[in-house]
Amino acid sequence: MKKPGFLKSVLLAAACAFGLSSCGQQESDKDGPDKPVVALVMKSLANEFFKTMADGAEAYQKEHADQFDLIVNGIRNETDLTAQVNLVEQMVSRGVDAIVIAPADSKALAPALKRAIDAGVTVVNIDNQLDEKVLAEAGLQIPFVGPDNREGAKMVGEVVAGQLAKGDKVAIIEGVPTAFNAIQRKLGFEDAMKAAGIEVVSSQSGSWEMAKANTVAAAILSEHPEVKALLCANDSMALGAVQAVKAAGQTGKVLVAGFDNISAVGPLVQSGEIAATADQHGDELAIFGIEAALQILSGGAAENQKTRVDLIVKK
Amino acid sequence: MNALTIHSLNKSYVPGVPVLKDLDFELAKGEVHALVGSNGAGKSTLAKILTGLISPNSGKISFREGVSENVVMVLQELNIIPTLTVAENLYINSLPGKFGIIKSAELLNRAKKALNKVGLAGIDPAMAAGKLGVGQQQLIEIAAALEKKSSVLILDEPTAALTGPEIELLFDNIRALRKKDVAILYISHRMDEIAEICDRVTVIRDGRRIATHKVAEVETPQLIREMAGSEVAAFSSAKQNKRTVEPGLTVKDLHAGEAVKGVSFQANRGEILGIAGLIGSGRTETLRAIFGADPRSSGEMYRGNQQTAFSPANPGEAVAAGVALVPEDRKLDGLLLPLSITANTVIASNRKFVVNETADEAATEKVCRQLAVKCDSLSQAISDLSGGNQQKIVIARWLLCDCEIFLFDEPTRGVDVAAKGAIYTLLQQLADEGKTIVVVSSDLTELMAISHRIIVMSNGRITGEFGPDEWTRENITAAAFAGYDSTERSAA
Amino acid sequence: MNTKRFLTDYGPMFVIWLILIFLFGSLSDHFLSSRTLSTIAGQVPPLVLVCCGMTFILIVAGIDLSVGSVLAFCATLFCLLIARAEWAVGVAAIAAILAGGFFGLINGLFTVLLRVPSFIVTLGTLKIAFGMAMLISRSETLTVGMKLEPLISPLPGPGVPVSFIVAVLFVIAGQFVLSKTIYGRHLIAIGTNESAVRLAGVETTWKKISVFVVTGLLTGVAAIFFAARLGGANADSGNGFELSAIAAVVIGGTSLMGGRGSIVNSFLGVLIILTLDAGLAQVGADEWVKHVITGAVIILAVLLDVLRGGVLPGLAARIRNYKK
Repeated sequence: MKKPGFLKSVLLAAACAFGLSSCGQQESDKDGPDKPVVALVMKSLANEFFKTMADGAEAYQKEHADQFDLIVNGIRNETDLTAQVNLVEQMVSRGVDAIVIAPADSKALAPALKRAIDAGVTVVNIDNQLDEKVLAEAGLQIPFVGPDNREGAKMVGEVVAGQLAKGDKVAIIEGVPTAFNAIQRKLGFEDAMKAAGIEVVSSQSGSWEMAKANTVAAAILSEHPEVKALLCANDSMALGAVQAVKAAGQTGKVLVAGFDNISAVGPLVQSGEIAATADQHGDELAIFGIEAALQILSGGAAENQKTRVDLIVKK
Repeated sequence: MNALTIHSLNKSYVPGVPVLKDLDFELAKGEVHALVGSNGAGKSTLAKILTGLISPNSGKISFREGVSENVVMVLQELNIIPTLTVAENLYINSLPGKFGIIKSAELLNRAKKALNKVGLAGIDPAMAAGKLGVGQQQLIEIAAALEKKSSVLILDEPTAALTGPEIELLFDNIRALRKKDVAILYISHRMDEIAEICDRVTVIRDGRRIATHKVAEVETPQLIREMAGSEVAAFSSAKQNKRTVEPGLTVKDLHAGEAVKGVSFQANRGEILGIAGLIGSGRTETLRAIFGADPRSSGEMYRGNQQTAFSPANPGEAVAAGVALVPEDRKLDGLLLPLSITANTVIASNRKFVVNETADEAATEKVCRQLAVKCDSLSQAISDLSGGNQQKIVIARWLLCDCEIFLFDEPTRGVDVAAKGAIYTLLQQLADEGKTIVVVSSDLTELMAISHRIIVMSNGRITGEFGPDEWTRENITAAAFAGYDSTERSAA
Repeated sequence: MNTKRFLTDYGPMFVIWLILIFLFGSLSDHFLSSRTLSTIAGQVPPLVLVCCGMTFILIVAGIDLSVGSVLAFCATLFCLLIARAEWAVGVAAIAAILAGGFFGLINGLFTVLLRVPSFIVTLGTLKIAFGMAMLISRSETLTVGMKLEPLISPLPGPGVPVSFIVAVLFVIAGQFVLSKTIYGRHLIAIGTNESAVRLAGVETTWKKISVFVVTGLLTGVAAIFFAARLGGANADSGNGFELSAIAAVVIGGTSLMGGRGSIVNSFLGVLIILTLDAGLAQVGADEWVKHVITGAVIILAVLLDVLRGGVLPGLAARIRNYKK
C-alpha cells in the first residue's frame, strides 16, 4: 500500500512542522525505547525520483519494523534550503538517532548537520554529495552513500554520441546551477561529448522543471537549428524537451536524453522519443543509506559507498 | 503689517483653463480674514498654494517670516489616519521621542491639554482616531493645527461637521490666536460665522479677486451678489404650502445597531421632512438603516399607502423600491474619485448589459445642465471638481433613477452659497413633484429654511416634532438634548 | 478619434514589445523567424487566460496567488482523468475547468463574504491546491501522449495553434466585458470605492465573488492548454506561475490598488514577458542574468506606466502652454 504510507508521512511532516513532535515520539515509545529512530530528509517530494526513494525506504521499514522506526520528510522546492535546514533541526529536537539526508545544497547544510552530529545524531549523506572542503573545514566526517552522477551522465551521453557523428552539435539543459548533482551531470555529458568530438553549442538551466525546460529547449531549437541532441539533466526536463522537439517538427531528427528513469519516460524510451536515461535506483539508494546508518549505530565504521547506476535504452 | 502678501498669482491645472488669474491678496498679522467665493472660484487652490502642496505657474508670494513652514492648514476634507491614536494624529510630524522611540507619557500628556482646548476633554488620547465621529475628527484636525504654533493658519470650512457648542469653542480659540498676532485665513460659506468671527472678507470669483471689505461694513446680500456675479443665488425662502397628508414613507419602531433605538416617523409625499439633532444622535444611522446599508434589528417600514412592509436587505433593493440616499461623507461613500463625471452619474441607473456611451453622456449632460454643474468636459475625473459640483453629481445620479423617496444626509456640507441655492431649489422641485424628501442637517438655519416639518433625534430616538409655526432654535435645541437626559435618569 | 484612443491606450505597450523583438532580432540571427514567433504563440495561451482573470481581480482591488497551484491541480487532474481513468478528452476538460471554478468559488466566498483579505485566502488555497495535486498524482509526472496534439499544432494558415486563437478570443471578450458592459464598469467602480458603489444601489457582493470564480474557470481552461503544450503535467508545473501572471498584468498598467486595468494591455504584458524569456534563452544568457534582466524590465514597464499616467502628460501640457 503506497498511499497510506505517503499520507502518514505528510501528516507526520505537518505535525513536526507545527512542533507537535510528541505525536511521533509516543508511537516509538510504545514500541519500546531501544528501537532506533531514523529520519529520512529528502529533497523535493514533488519530484518522482525522490518520491520513489521515500516509498522504497518505507517499504523496507515495514519489512524490518522490529529493527527501527522511520520518519520521512521532504521539501516542496528543491532549492528551498531554509525548509530543509528547519527539517534537520526539527528532527534533532525530536530526538531521532540517525538522519539520512539528500542535501538540497552541497555546502549550505553543513552547519545544520554539524549541530545534529554535536547533538549525538548519526548522519548519513545520500544522493547529492556534500562538499568535501566544507566538511573538512567544519571538521566533519559524514559518510556518503550514492551514485556517481558524473559517471551516469557520461554513460547516457555515450549512447547519444554513438548515434551522432564527429563534429555534430548538441545542447545541454542543466538543472539548478548551484546543485552538486546538476554540476556533476553536466560534466558527465560534457565528458562524453568531448571524447566523441561533438560540440556543445548551448548549455542553459531548465531549473529541473518541465515547463521551464520546454521554453528553453524551444528557444535553443530556434536559435541553433543545427542541434542534433538535447541532453537533459533529469527526466522531467526531458519530457519538456520532447514536446519542444515535437512542436518544432524535429521529432526523430533531434535526440533527447534524460536522467533518473521516472515512470513517465518508460514508453518514450521504447518509442525512441527519448534516446536514453539513467536509473540510479532511487528506491534502493535510501535503503542503502538507512542500512549504513543502522550499521554505524550498532558500532560499524562510517565509509563512503558507491551505488549502482544503470543505463536505460530501447530494448 | 502683512503676514503674507500675494502678487499676481496664476495657476491652471489644465492648459487654457486658469483657476487663479492675476490674483492679489494681503493677509495682515493678527487678523481673521474670510475668503468667500462660489464653486471653483479658486479658494482651495489658493490655500493649497499657500501651504506649498501645489506650486503656482507664476506670481509672487512673500511671507513676513520669509519661510512657508509657518503656514498650517486645516483641510476641508478630513485627513485623519484612522488606525493611529488620537495623540499620534495630533503630533504626527513632531512626535516626541528619543532614538526613534516614542515617549508615550509625554505624548499623552500634551495631547490631553490640546484636546481640552477644543472641548474634547472626554476623549482618551490613546484611542484609535478612526473610532471618533466625523465632527470629533474635525476637532482633532483643528487641535493639531492649533498645536503647530504657526504664524499663518488656514481654516478651510472648519465648522462643516461641528455643532453649535463646538463652533463656539473653535471661535474662542481663534480669538486667542488673533491676540497672539497669528494671521488666520478663514474659508467658509457660512455668512453668520463670518459676521461673528472675521475682521475682513475677500470675495474671489473665477480666480480673480472681486473685492475686499471690512466685515462690519458689508451686508450679506452684497457678498452674495459679488460671489454669484450676474446670476443671483436662486433660493426661494417663500415655501409653497402644498402640504398633503398622503404618506410617502412610514417608519415604525426602527432599531439598528447601537445608535438607533426605536425610531418612528412618517414623511409625507410632497413634503420636505427635516431631521435635526446633535452629531452622534443616530440620524445618519437611521437613514442608512432605512436604505438597507446597515442591518436593522427590528422595526417596520412602509412606502406610500402600501400595506406590505418594505424591508430592503441591501441598498440595491432599496433603490429598486425607489429609495435614494445622498450620503453624509461624499468622499468616502459617494464618489468614485478617479473616474469620470459620466461614470459617477450613471452608476446607479445603469442596469442593462452593454454600455451605451452616447446615451450615458446625453443623460449626464441633461442632469448636469439641470443642476448647473460647472466642468470642462463630462469625461473629466470627478476629483477635479469643487466640493459643490461633486455634491451635485452625487445628487444627479438619483435623478436618473425613478425614485420616490429621497434621503439626504447633510446635502450642503462643504458646498458654496450658489450651489446651496441650487440644491435647495432642487429639493423644493422634487417635493412639488410629489416626491418624499427627508433631510438630515446640522445647520439649523438651513433646516428651518427648507423644511415643511422638522423632527428632532436625540440619543437614538425621536424627541420632538415641530411645524413651521412652532419651531424655534431654542425648542429644537432643547429637544436635541432631551434624549440624553432621559437615559441618564432611567439609568439612575 | 477612436483610432487615436486605441493608440494612446495600447500603443506604448505595443512599442515596448516591438523594441524587445527588434533587440533580440539584432542580437540573434534566428530570433526573427516564423519558428520563434510560432513557439512564443504556443507558450502564450495559458498565461493569457490566467491574466484575463487576474486583471479583473486586481481591478476590484483583490489578488489571487493561488492561480499557479490551481493550474497545476487542474492540469494534473486533467491528465489523470485522460491517462489513468481513460475519460474522453472533452469530459476531462470540463472536469478540470469546473475544478478551477471550485477553487475560485472558495477564494471568492472567503474573501467577499467572510472578509478575509484575498492575499491570505489565496495563499491558503495555493497550498491546498498544490497539496491536492501531489496527492492525486502521487508526485508522479502524468503524460497524455498525442491526444492533445490538435490543440497546439500550428494551423496551416495563420501559423499559430488553436490555443492561441482561443486565447485571443478571450482577450477580445474580456476587454469587451470590461469596457463595454455595465458589469465591467461596475467592477471598475467597485475597485475605486466599493462603499460608494454599494450605496448607489449596485449589487457588489456577488459581482466580486464572480470575478474570483471566472478566474478559477479561466485557470482551468489554461491548465488544458498547459498540459497540451507539455504533453503532460506534474504537481510542480505551476511553480511561480502566479508571479508571472501578476507581473504581466502589472506591466500592462493594471493598478494593484484597484479601479484601473486593461485586458489588452495584460495580453501585451504576457507577450513582453514570454518574448523576454524566449529571447534571453535564444541569446544564451546566463541563468542569473536572465533573472536580473526580467526584473529590470518589470520595473521599467511599470515606471513607464506611472510616467504615462502623471508626469509625461503634465510635461506635455507644460510644453503646449509654453508655446502659447
